[in-house]
Formats: sequence, structure tokens, C-alpha cells
Amino acid sequence: MVQFKETSLAKVKEIIARYPSGKQKSALLPVLHLAQVEFDGWLDVPVMDYVAGLLNIEPIEVYEVASFYSMYNLKPVGKFVFEVCQTGPCMLNGSDDIIDYIKQKLSIGVGETTADGLFTLKTVECLGACGYAPLMQFGKTYREHLTKQKVDTIIEECRAKAN
Amino acid sequence: MGRKLLLEKQHVEGIRHYDVYRREGGYRSVEKALKMQPNDIVEEVKKSGLRGRGGAGFPTGMKWSFLAKPDGVPRYLVCNADESEPGTFKDRYLMEFIPHILIEGMIVASYALGSNVSYIYIRGEYDWITDILDQAIAEAKQNGWLGKNIQGSGFDCEMYVQRGAGAYICGEETALLESLEGKRGNPRIKPPFPAIKGLWGCPTVVNNVETLAAVVPIINEGAEEYAKIGVGKSTGTKLISACGNINKPGIYEIDMTISVEEFIYSDEYCGGIPNGKKLKACIPGGSSVPILPANLLLTTAKGEKRLMNYESLSDGGFASGSMMGSGGFIVLDEDQCIVRHTYTLARFYRHESCGQCSPCREGTGWMEKILLSIEKGKGKLSDIDLLWDIQRKIEGNTICPLGDAAAWPVAAAIRHFRDEFEWHVNNPEKCLTENFGLRHYADAIHVPV
Ligand SMILES: Cc1cc2nc3c(=O)[nH]c(=O)nc-3n(C[C@H](O)[C@H](O)[C@H](O)COP(=O)(O)O)c2cc1C
Ligand code: SF4
Ligand code: FES
Repeated sequence: MVQFKETSLAKVKEIIARYPSGKQKSALLPVLHLAQVEFDGWLDVPVMDYVAGLLNIEPIEVYEVASFYSMYNLKPVGKFVFEVCQTGPCMLNGSDDIIDYIKQKLSIGVGETTADGLFTLKTVECLGACGYAPLMQFGKTYREHLTKQKVDTIIEECRAKAN
Repeated sequence: MGRKLLLEKQHVEGIRHYDVYRREGGYRSVEKALKMQPNDIVEEVKKSGLRGRGGAGFPTGMKWSFLAKPDGVPRYLVCNADESEPGTFKDRYLMEFIPHILIEGMIVASYALGSNVSYIYIRGEYDWITDILDQAIAEAKQNGWLGKNIQGSGFDCEMYVQRGAGAYICGEETALLESLEGKRGNPRIKPPFPAIKGLWGCPTVVNNVETLAAVVPIINEGAEEYAKIGVGKSTGTKLISACGNINKPGIYEIDMTISVEEFIYSDEYCGGIPNGKKLKACIPGGSSVPILPANLLLTTAKGEKRLMNYESLSDGGFASGSMMGSGGFIVLDEDQCIVRHTYTLARFYRHESCGQCSPCREGTGWMEKILLSIEKGKGKLSDIDLLWDIQRKIEGNTICPLGDAAAWPVAAAIRHFRDEFEWHVNNPEKCLTENFGLRHYADAIHVPV
């Protein structure tokens, strides 16, 4: 059965308290973020149903939102997700080369996960950091001014962590 | 060197933390504001001439004065920290390095508007910045600037940060409110405007991060002093985030009197173009505003030096000018391909359209496909006219301005760089390995019709 840890449940309570009573649906986006971190990086249907129950809203209200926002993964992803920005300003600074390099290095296409389940490559639109291009979102933060060497180092770091 | 109001203390070590921020004069504007009548603060902001820094440039004091005040209904202040317009990354800088200036400005604004609870809606990807803001809010609370009866004034003020989850459209203020209510980011039909019916149907003011931060120097220095900085209706200072092909990408606070040329080439700002290359084009105010070729960027059609302010950047209208927008300054050097760049922007808008209106939902998809085929050497000359036709049919025919924002970059690219599109069509092989280059785009002005 899907169930948040105690600490996450406390966090959900704290979030709901930010809104006037009866407006607990406002907690949906933050709670989905929590759920995605806690349940392997993606939102499976039982997870979404669980969130609906927590917030006392219909499951459909959760699916609608989860499918609208690009940060929510509706399919399993690798342990490490590379989300490389590909919009204009990053393109001017070579983001296409970085994307090609990662594809070749990991032998996967955009949107795919490596066979060992370690890496997923995604392309995303402007991350609001165009002056530090090329860059990608990696977990909680960004990795900026990417070069091929930096990509190598990040991949090695991940492999070391996974072992 | 111009005056710095927001970034004055950017190099003070530890300015991110409360103790240092306070020691450097932080929260003085709150002390001052709490001794004023709320309406007098609104008047000060009006007098300062401050215009919204989120993109539209709407006068902030005026927006505040429109807020409805029915009895017994709460009012809300919402800070727009969605920052998703390509080329724009200024709010991130403020929040990451000087978070207390935003909180300080929001407390003053909350008091002026009579809002006891405010929310900062931040783009979901700025996960670590959310932690920084949460920490700063906790510090402010510990020191009596937030919470019940702040500084013994009788005014209650709570503040929360809410993360979005990856959707540019949530920067549009009504989509943002929907998102904050836990829904898809579908913009609302206006009217009613948020000032009448906003968050949970209550009167709401939505302001950009930089706008709210600017309230701090306005209250500290006084509206008149603030209005002396800058020129005309471009008062105060503006943060510009500069990126693309420049030597020193980053955030610059300018006083809106400097020329575009100085901004690009002087060492104080962008430091020129790398590898001695020439300037080809620039989008001066975020991806949604018209791109200009070098000649029209540096000099207006009247032959005057173009300045970095609202009026001068838009001089000439869309025929020969652009807009200040959000201050996202994107520079393209002589080796960049306008078709390819425009294609990436079209792809962006297609991806970000919420899909409610057919001209935007369908039109952005068509524009992306056609631009890609021209870029790949598979286009026809008639495709260029078709693109023009599509963008015209989107513009002005949608619920929210994302439609216009998607149409304008394509329109401006064709308006100013049509020969480059034609060259792509006429050189289907060559365009895969070579670029059109600079050609005449830096020549003396010819005004397109
Ligand atoms: C598609 C779209 C995206 C927008 N994105 C942002 C944004 O990321 N940040 C922002 O402050 N304003 C954004 N705006 C403008 C807001 O709708 C609103 O005008 C602004 O937050 C008002 O604040 P201001 O008056 O302080 O500028 C966007 C508008 C549109 C149409
Ligand atoms: S213009 Fe586009 S983004 Fe705006 S409401 Fe219509 S479909 Fe949605
Ligand atoms: S275009 Fe990549 S961060 Fe903005």
C-alpha cells in the first residue's frame, strides 16, 4: 500500500495549513513534488490516488494536474535524470552538442533510460538560467557551463554513487 | 557607473543571511512604512513611476490602487517568481543572493494593500532557491518582521513559498493563480481582473519579484529621489539579464540612460562579443519581444542612438523597434542562424501553450513544423508567407498574451530577416552545413515596411 513516511505526512499537514480552510486543494502541486521524491521519481496511479485521498479531492483532479506540468513524471525514470535545456539562448551556446554528446555517451535517445536503470535523458525548455548556458537540471540544482568533460565527471560521480 | 539600488550590497559577504542584511540597513523600509498610512505608501509608489518588471511594464502604484476592498473579504499579495521567459534569469539572482530584499518589499506591499497572507509562486525547477527563501522567511519571522502583530504594529503578515512544476504559462498571472489553487495552469478569461477576483475569488495583486524588491528603495529614498533616476517614464533602475554571444553574461543593474551600444560593448556590462565576432541581432527583452538586426538595435529609424529604456527600445513600434519586456537580453553573433534560433523559440511556445485556444494550440504547432522544415532545407518559398499568415491569425485572437508572445518572434524574424529564410529555401543543401552569416544586417539603416 502507498503510504508517506511520518515526516512527509507532517510536511503535508504543514503545507495545508498555509491556505484558508477548505482550500486544501492548493497543496496539490507541493504534495505531488513530495510524492515524486518519495516514490522513486515518478507518479504511478496508486500514488496519485493516495494523494487525492490525502487532500480529499477526486483522483481525476490529481491526474489532470500531474499530466499538465512537465516536472511530473508519469512513467518510471532512471535513478539520475539529466534535463538539458535546449531553448534559443542555450542553443546559441552549444546545448545541441551537449545533448548529442550525452546521447552518444549513454547510448540512449532523448526521453529514454539506460538499460541499467541509472540514467534518463530529457530535453527541457528554458530553465531560467540562460547566462550560464549550456546547462541542465540535475536533482535539486543545476549543473551549469557544461562541457564534455563536465558531463563525463557528472556521469562518473553518478556511477560511483550508485555502487 | 550608474546608481545601484537593488544590487548595491551584492558583494557584501553573507548578505543572504538576516544578520548581515539587517546590519547593512535591511528592513528599514518596513520600519518607515509601518509608521505611514497604507494609502500613502500606494501614493509613494505611484509617484515613483515604478513600472512592473515582469514584462508588461504596467504602473505598479496604479495596479495597487485598483485593488478592491470589500468588507470582510481577505486580500492577497502574490509574488510572481515563475521566471520562465527565455533570456530572463534576473529574479533568480535576487532570490538566491539577496532573498531578504524580496521579503522586505513584500512586507511593505502587504501592509500597503492590507494583505495578511502572501505567497511567492516560484518556478518548480528553482528547488534550491525555494529552500533559501524558506530559510530567509524563517529568519524574518524569528526577528519579528513576519507573523502576528509585526514589530508591535498590530499588523499580521504571513508569507509562504509555493513551487510550480514546469509550465511557462504559469507566469501569466491568472494561470499562476489557477496553479496556486492546485489546478492546471489555464489562464482565465478577463475581466474580472485579479484586483477584483483573484486567488480563491478574492482581490489579489500579482507582482514580479523585481517590482516588489524595488519598493524597498522607493520607501527608503522617497519616491521623488527614485523618480530622478532614469529618464522619462523609465524611472529607477532595471535589472537586465544578458546572455547569448557576449563575453560577460550575467545580471546588470542599469539606470536606463545608457545606450544599447554601451551595454553590449563596454567592459562594465556585456564586454563585447567573443572572438572578435560581429553583432548580428538581438532580442532585448526576453524571447517574446521582436528580434532586431544589429543596425536597428543600435540606432533607431530616426538615426538616434537607441537607449536601454522602455521608450527607446520600443521606438519605431514593431516596424523598427522592440520592447523592454522582462529585460532578458539575448545577443546573436554573426555565425548564428536566425531560422534555427526562431525554430527553437517556436518549439518553446508550442510546448508551453496550455491548449485552451485553437489559434494558439494549433498555430504554435504549425509554426514549429514549418520552421523546422525550412531549417532542414525542406521548405518552400510559400512557407514563409504561410508563417506570416499563421502568426497574424494567432495575434490578438487568444485568451491570454502567450498567443502574441508566440507570434511576435516569428513575425519579427520574417520582417527583418526574410532574405535569410529565402536563402534557406533556395539553398537546401548548403543551409545544412553553412550559415547565411551577417550579410547586410549591420549596414546603415534601412527601415523595413
Ligand atoms: C505567457 C506569459 C508568461 C509570463 N511570465 C511571467 C514571469 O515569468 N514572471 C513575471 O513576473 N511575469 C510574467 N508574466 C507577466 C504577468 O502576467 C504579470 O503581468 C506580472 O507578473 C505582473 O507583475 P508586474 O506588474 O510587477 O510586472 C507573463 C505573462 C505571460 C502572458
Ligand atoms: S493563448 Fe495559448 S496559452 Fe494562452 S490561454 Fe490560449 S492556448 Fe492557453
Ligand atoms: S534557454 Fe536554457 S536556461 Fe534559458
